[in-house]
Amino acid sequence: MKIIKRILLILAVGFILIQFVRPGKNNNTNLTASDITNTLHVPDSVLSILKVACFDCHSNNTRYPWYANFQPVGWFMANHITNGKKRLNFNEFGLLPIRRQQSKLKSIASQINDNDMPLPSYKWIHHDARLSDNNKKLIIEWAERSMDSLSQKN
Amino acid sequence: MKKLIFNLLIVSGIIISCNNQNKTPDIQASKQPDSLAATKENKKVDSTVPNTNAAFPIKDILSGYFSLKNALAKDNGNDAAAAGNSLLSTLNKINTEALNNEQQKIYAGLQDDLKENAEHIGKNAGKIEHQREHFEMLSKDLIDLVKTFGNGGQTLYKDFCPMANNSKGASWLSEFKEIKNPYMGSKMPGCGSIKEEIK
Repeated sequence: MKIIKRILLILAVGFILIQFVRPGKNNNTNLTASDITNTLHVPDSVLSILKVACFDCHSNNTRYPWYANFQPVGWFMANHITNGKKRLNFNEFGLLPIRRQQSKLKSIASQINDNDMPLPSYKWIHHDARLSDNNKKLIIEWAERSMDSLSQKN
Repeated sequence: MKKLIFNLLIVSGIIISCNNQNKTPDIQASKQPDSLAATKENKKVDSTVPNTNAAFPIKDILSGYFSLKNALAKDNGNDAAAAGNSLLSTLNKINTEALNNEQQKIYAGLQDDLKENAEHIGKNAGKIEHQREHFEMLSKDLIDLVKTFGNGGQTLYKDFCPMANNSKGASWLSEFKEIKNPYMGSKMPGCGSIKEEIK
């Protein structure tokens, strides 16, 4: 019994100590020249979906819930955000070569269609990220139209 | 009591030192650099060797691409994935310092796309349609690559099938004349035609 108590105490202290190791926050609301809205035509209906379902991991500005202030939740989120931005950042979309933009749009359409994105773990908590069939269709059709318009340039 | 405090100090020390690595997501590094600063090798270019396309492994890249293509034509997603991974390692080994400025610029514009498409194909052995989507983008990149770096000494055929890619049409490069469609596979292996011969 004494051992269990000791272990629990160590875990509790550990939990308190890790709260002091806080990842940096991803917050930058400046609208960049390379933002996707400055690169392609993005209808409001599509942009509003992207904002609630995608931008938290795929932009320079994340909406942090209160529980993100606690570790290890904060670390997991920081990890998702770093990886997400590395793959796709809507605020810096215009920096990519045209071919790349087309590839990214193709991936967006494909992953939304296959339900690979938004991440299941994200959808559990963010109910507004659970895209309806109609919303998915809007994004996919927008991505395909955008790819076609880029083809004119490429 | 002393023992407990000692234990706690050790545990805390371990936790803090392990987790200092997770500190800050690098917000500045979100942009994918298409510059060449990623090249680590510092090979000195031999001034007696002419700066020809021999510096760029176009033959190896094409060879990897053809393995991929032929696997897709046979509806073999596993072989396609293996070829994708192999192509990715070839691409990762490229030293761009031996190229001239124009070549570097062109390759810089294509390299991320090439690698990402190869990577996706490598990771999706069970989803051949997904592999084919990426193959379409990869083929465009290869066609551009060949325009700059040549055909590696072999005649190539640029083929096109109007039904592929959701009927928007898709191209591919082939090392032989016969049409063996990588997008349609066994469903319609002969669909397509040669649009260009690259000698």
